[in-house]
Order: sequence, then C-alpha cells, then structure tokens
Amino acid sequence: MTEAFTEKSPRGDKSAIVLSSRVRVARNLKDMNFRPKMTQDQADECIDRVLEALRGGGDDFRYYPMRGIDPIEKRAMVEDHRISADLFKTDDRGAALISADGRVVIMINEEDHLRIQAFASGLDLETASGLAYRTEDVLEKSLNFAFDEQLGYLTACPTNTGTGMRASVMLHLPLLTAKKNMGQVTQLAAKLGLTMRGIYGEGSEALGCVYQLSNQVTLGKTEHELTDAVSAVAAQIAGMEQEKRLQALREDPVAFEDRISRAIGTLKYARMMDLKEFYPLWSALRVGAAMGRIPMDVRECDALLTAAQDAHLCRAAGRELTDREIREARSAMVRRTIRDRLSSEEDI
Amino acid sequence: MLCEECGEREAAVVVTTVINGESTSRNLCRECVKKYQKGGDVSALLAAILSSMYKARGSSGKSCAHCGMTLEEFNKTGMLGCAECYRTFRSELDPMLNRIQGRTQHAGRRPHTDPAAQERGDRIMKLRRAMEAAVSEEAFEEAARLRDELKKLQEGGGEETAKEGAEE
Repeated sequence: MTEAFTEKSPRGDKSAIVLSSRVRVARNLKDMNFRPKMTQDQADECIDRVLEALRGGGDDFRYYPMRGIDPIEKRAMVEDHRISADLFKTDDRGAALISADGRVVIMINEEDHLRIQAFASGLDLETASGLAYRTEDVLEKSLNFAFDEQLGYLTACPTNTGTGMRASVMLHLPLLTAKKNMGQVTQLAAKLGLTMRGIYGEGSEALGCVYQLSNQVTLGKTEHELTDAVSAVAAQIAGMEQEKRLQALREDPVAFEDRISRAIGTLKYARMMDLKEFYPLWSALRVGAAMGRIPMDVRECDALLTAAQDAHLCRAAGRELTDREIREARSAMVRRTIRDRLSSEEDI
Repeated sequence: MLCEECGEREAAVVVTTVINGESTSRNLCRECVKKYQKGGDVSALLAAILSSMYKARGSSGKSCAHCGMTLEEFNKTGMLGCAECYRTFRSELDPMLNRIQGRTQHAGRRPHTDPAAQERGDRIMKLRRAMEAAVSEEAFEEAARLRDELKKLQEGGGEETAKEGAEE
C-alpha cells in the first residue's frame, strides 16, 4: 500500500471538488394569480399553457404530473435534485417537464408558476445557465412573464425578484469541515452576497461534507455577474479545500491513506448500512478518487451517492422496501460497485 | 370569521392576552388552539400573539384589489398573490427588498417581446454602471452628467422609476 502511495503523485485537481452546477430561473405568468391565490383551474391552465409554449421548441420534454406519477419515481426525482421537495408536495397542482437528457427540468406550479432549472457536471455554471436560458427563450416566445421595470421578473416570494435566478454549486469539503474552517468559509460567502448550506444529513451536520453555495441576492445584478460571483467563490473555496488535502497528505501520508482504505474496507464488506454510516465513508472514498489514490472517477462516486438514496434503492428493486431491506440493498449495491471498480487489491 | 392562525378553518375561540397593559385578541379555530395546548407550548402561543401585535402595528388593513391578498397574510407567509401585489404593497416591500437585496433596480435580462424597452433598459444599466464607476473614481462632474442623462432616460420611459434617486 505504501508502495502504491509513493508511485502515484497527488494529481487531484481542484475541479474534482465540485460535484455539480445548477441554475434555476423563476418566472410567473403576467395575467394569472401567483401560487398562494391560484385556483385549481388556473393551475391546470398554467400547465396547459407551458406545454403549448414548448410545442415546436425543438427540445424533447417528458411530462410528469405530480398527481399521476409513481410514488417511488417521484421520491427518486427529489433525491436526484431534479424536482424540489416543494413540488413533490403539490399533489394536485404541480408538474415537471424533464428533457430527454435530463439536464433541463421545468417545474410548474411550485412556488412560482415556472422554475426552469438546468444542471451541469462539475464547476460549469456557464453550461447550466446556457441550457436554462435557452429553454426560457423558447417559453418566452409565447408566454408573457410578470415583469416590472424596477423590480425585474416578479416572483411569488419577493426575495427572488429581479433576475429570479439562483446559481448553485455543490462542493465536497471534508477537510475544511474537519479542520473547522466552515464558519470562516460561510462568512466569506456571506460577505459576497452568497449563502452556503450543508446537504445530506440533518440540519447543519452535512454528513457527507457536501455543501451548496448559491447567490442570496437576485436583484440589482445581471445574471452574468451572479453566476460569475458564484463560480469565482466556488473556485476559491475549492482551492482552499485542495490546499488542506495536500497539506494533510504531506503531514501524515499514512493516516491520510488509512482513512481512505478503512472506508473502502467497510464499504466493500459491510452487509447492511444506513445513510448516517454511509455518508462519511462515501466522503473518504471520494477524497481518495479526487486525489488519485484509487482508480475510481469522482463522477462515479457522485453517482454512487445518488444511487445509495432510499428511493433509488426501492426503484432498483422494483418495489417499496422496508427500512431493513433498504439497508441491506444499500450495502449490496455499494459492494458491487466497489468490487467492480476496485477489483485488484493492489489498487487499494 | 376564519382562524387567524391557519386561515382555513372557522374561528371558534377568542384568545385575549394582556402584555404591559396592551391587550391583543386573536380569533383561533379549535384545531389551532389545541395545537398550542397539546404541547403545553405556551411560549409558541405567546410568540404567535407577539408577532401578530408586531405586524398589526404596521398594518393598515391593506389588501390587493386584484387577488385579495391582505398585508396580514403576506406578513405571515412572505408570499404575494399576483403581480399587482407588488404595486399594492410597494411601501412595505421597498425597505424589505433594500435589506435583503441591497439594491432595488433590476439590472438583468428583460422580456424581449419589446425590443425598444429592452434597448432602453440596457442603456439605463450601462449609464448606471458608468455613473457608479465615476463616483468611485471621485469624478463627480462626470457622475452628475451621467445622473442627469439617466434621469432623462428614465423619465422619458414613464414607469415607476422615480424612486431611483433614493438609492444613490
């Protein structure tokens, strides 16, 4: 193992620290009440108008009405971050339109009439933004959006008015978390009008050390300025994390390698596992991948994080599973993946 | 009368609290009263009453003529009912937007259904940026010239941009 370590240079580049980028744009129809004052008829009409507006737009979208969709599929969509937990709750009103490649999602009748969101892998808000606004352009050809000269695009919640846009980036920051630097990072973000919050795990715990950085301000700046600010700060934070990783590796390479290897050991041999146990192990695995310590791509690690969620395991099994079955299914899935990727012992 | 807590069920109980000689009454439904009683959560009930007192001070019983959204409902949920609400509740929204957003002049994309408005908006934005740059470089003469030009452009376009000055 020591040999393997010295042979590999710590190639990890900081782009591997960002999981994904997302741009979400809120729009409302000008002549229709917003969600809090909307009737069921209007909600249905809103869906019809969006579907009509997309017709002939070139892109192929699949339609998912919240009331008709399979419950496992619906929960899996929330786990994927394709739809929000809020849309999930809009049983008789909400709908989602998902592009064939899954990169663009239009949520209808969530908090706003429309939430257009687009995703890109790694730190790439430019691609996400391009996709989101291409879809917005198509919709705007036939829909009149509520707009005010001073306040920009009007949203149901005034905190989103202006651009109605949130650009967010998911970052994996285990070393900054362990070294208790997250308070400092959060402050840095806040100073620049951005917010940082932990995801996966309850409250601020951030069990997988995955954080979401996004713009707080939506008014008074252009979309480019906002995405540039999020990108720049994300790159800076990723740089800080990378520096901490390299430092930890320099200071105590055996301890560094030990943590990764132990995580792999547990992931490879455990027979049942809850998410609380899985997250920190996954986190160590991903550091190993990002730093080139194990022959696994960071994107494969990211896919593993999603696949290990409850509804994804139920979907793979083709039925609802009990809690106990979910824990077993999680271990079985993780074990298979790890064995496929890290088959030879020398690799780990 | 509807319950002031949930806004859904008929109110059945009037809860009156006297704090520092100031009496506040809230009409609640049985479910909401029970909710507070069940947990023995007196502080939650107190908080609800205090927040209603706080809001009542700023409230003028205003409501949106278009969708019926009331100021009270907006205070409670933080959500507006329609585009018209932004006009109705403008005086309440402005300080809030100032606090959250820092600026209250949109600078981003605009509907391109009206190319003339789009172009005008772009020019306003460019002028504003130039003016801010001039101010930060202490080129006040240039800044004043840009301000006048901006004003002319904004006045020419009608719309509600008179409040601009307050921001500078």
